Amino acid sequence: MIRPVLNRRSFVTLAGAGTAAALGIPAYLPRIGEAADALKIGLLEPYTGVYAGPAENETAGYQMAADAWNKRGGVMGRKVELVKEDEQNDPGVAAQKARKLVNQDKVVALCGTVSSGVSLSVAGVSNSLGTLFMDSGGHSDDVTGKSCHWNVFRTCHSTWMETHATGYSLAKRFGKRWFMITPDYAYGHALETGFKDVLGRIGGEIVGNELTPLGTTDFSSYLTKIDAAKPTLVLVLVQGDDYTNCLKQMNQFGLLKKYAVGGPQVELEPLYGLPPEAREGYWGVEWYYKSEKTLGKNNKLATDFVAESTKRFGKPPTARNCFGYVTLDRLLTAMAEAKTTDPVKLARAIENVRFKSIFNGTAYYRKEDHQLMWPMWVAKIRPNGTPGDKFDLFDVTDIQAPEAVEQSIADKEKVCKLGYT
Amino acid sequence: MIEHLGPQLFNGLVLGAFYAIVAIGLSLIMNLTGTINMAHGSFMTLAGYVAFTIVSRGMPFWVALIVAPLIAVVVGVIVERTLVRPLYKREPFYSLLMTFGLSLIAEEAYRLIWGPNGVPFSGPKELSGAVSLGFMTFPTFRLFIVAVLVIAMIALAVFLTRTRFGLRLRAAVQDTEMIAALGTNTQVLYMINFGLGIFLAGIAGVLAAGMLGLSPTSGNQLLMPAFVTVIIGGMGSLFGSIVGGVLIGMAISMTTLFIPAASEVSMYILMAAVLLVRPRGLFGEEGIFG
Repeated sequence: MIRPVLNRRSFVTLAGAGTAAALGIPAYLPRIGEAADALKIGLLEPYTGVYAGPAENETAGYQMAADAWNKRGGVMGRKVELVKEDEQNDPGVAAQKARKLVNQDKVVALCGTVSSGVSLSVAGVSNSLGTLFMDSGGHSDDVTGKSCHWNVFRTCHSTWMETHATGYSLAKRFGKRWFMITPDYAYGHALETGFKDVLGRIGGEIVGNELTPLGTTDFSSYLTKIDAAKPTLVLVLVQGDDYTNCLKQMNQFGLLKKYAVGGPQVELEPLYGLPPEAREGYWGVEWYYKSEKTLGKNNKLATDFVAESTKRFGKPPTARNCFGYVTLDRLLTAMAEAKTTDPVKLARAIENVRFKSIFNGTAYYRKEDHQLMWPMWVAKIRPNGTPGDKFDLFDVTDIQAPEAVEQSIADKEKVCKLGYT
Repeated sequence: MIEHLGPQLFNGLVLGAFYAIVAIGLSLIMNLTGTINMAHGSFMTLAGYVAFTIVSRGMPFWVALIVAPLIAVVVGVIVERTLVRPLYKREPFYSLLMTFGLSLIAEEAYRLIWGPNGVPFSGPKELSGAVSLGFMTFPTFRLFIVAVLVIAMIALAVFLTRTRFGLRLRAAVQDTEMIAALGTNTQVLYMINFGLGIFLAGIAGVLAAGMLGLSPTSGNQLLMPAFVTVIIGGMGSLFGSIVGGVLIGMAISMTTLFIPAASEVSMYILMAAVLLVRPRGLFGEEGIFG
């Protein structure tokens, strides 16, 4: 025989082994030669997989904040150093790496994450380790809701904020019969709850809700149900590559011409991956690099951030860059002001402190649930950008105050017990 | 519910044709050399990105549809000559691990070259609309995809059954030693066969990039269903891959209609059911792998 023997049984075993290997690539390699007294911040981001784009941009934001502080001499005289780990968009891997960062690398705090499932996992682990965790990019309500912890803060908007910031204005524009395409995991379910609450208040109806698995490539089976449901608005709740696939296919099926489309949030990363003819609708926006409504009037901090980031990374910053920057800048500010890295003291130093940053107005991490209370925006998409700037895809139309779109303190206190020790 | 049945069957068919063409490429390579090509999806992605680059340089989609798979074939043949070939005489898991590693490297390479985010790529303007089929409106581009895939499958069948080379290929699958003893250069046979498999992946890759999204991970997302297709259809049978692909496509679209939450697992349930009744798959030939 020239060839080795391969039968069906060994094929199944091998294919299975291959899949298993795909899910559990060697966790980490030890690092050597790090500065002894650097102030280490652990950064967990999904550098590989579907959220690699947002992960890269969040990291760029973190890096800019770290560099800005280092330029000013560091924090408490110590150089800020980011220790990055790829959490692979996997809650299990993230938990393991969070432990590694704290126990082995001795980081003083954990930051990062994109997917809500991962955020919740890191939140739990960091709580058991007694380490501060700043969730910059996982949106699910639970992070600052029923799974809240004293040591966990969240920068990006909660799903409740996203749905309430967009729900009322979408209903006003497009009516109250909604068809939803929802990602089937923590984030999607949280959005669903939020929109149901909005519709309950204004007396609308969900005429279809398709739960799609994360990583769905073909949406045709879901899209063909839209016509029969006769909605006035199709709400697309999926994100990342799923968003790109879904909108592209809606365009192919001619649905973008037939129905109004919108959603709680769209990020620039997947939007740039869409052909112009599939860029359509009204969406929630968490920050934008080119609008007075998002950056504020004469906000030098913001315009400098946009200019430097664009120069450094060769493209305009997205909301993800903003999350990374704001998160680390606030954490380091609290450390510098409180002159400590003690987690409890730091947490107290972050709570309810109003600050100005690279967005319009002031904001604060709410004491009762540790959610960053900052405005949220709604934008209409400009498919081809503006003359001279092909990246300029958002025409920001509305600005919503955080208190108007997040659950009240009274409601939050019913589910969130921070549990300070 | 019932009014969705027709459209869903049709959706399933398109999806199935995709899985089938990828599975046939996998099968070709596996049948002849016992190589389980875990990097098959990466070649799809490569063809997609090359097509994107060609189109963004101002050339028409049609050029990309032919040229991009051919470039993938060139890369594929180089990979076969340098990396896969030395492993032919070893246990299958050597080439499985090697190609798996290759797929990880490829994914990162695409990320470095074309960026971590998806890139905008769509089918040609001429096929951008939707046509009415009576029971539903269906995107023209998807109909075109089905046509291309069916033509590719027929062409392959003719090639394998009506040409001398196809005959040798099929004979080599049965008994490589004998074919070699009769004077056929089996190394060249392996190389062309590998290239053929990659060519099919390349075509599927360009079409998928136009229909779905195009990002560093997009090809690999279609790989697992293709493997399941091979198992359901039966190893060694190209016809089985077609049937397997269509069955999986149907299973996914039908479960989406009736039990949406189970759409993801439906193909694995189907695989388990088929293996229980027919352990070698629907059209698998016993002993084809020795």
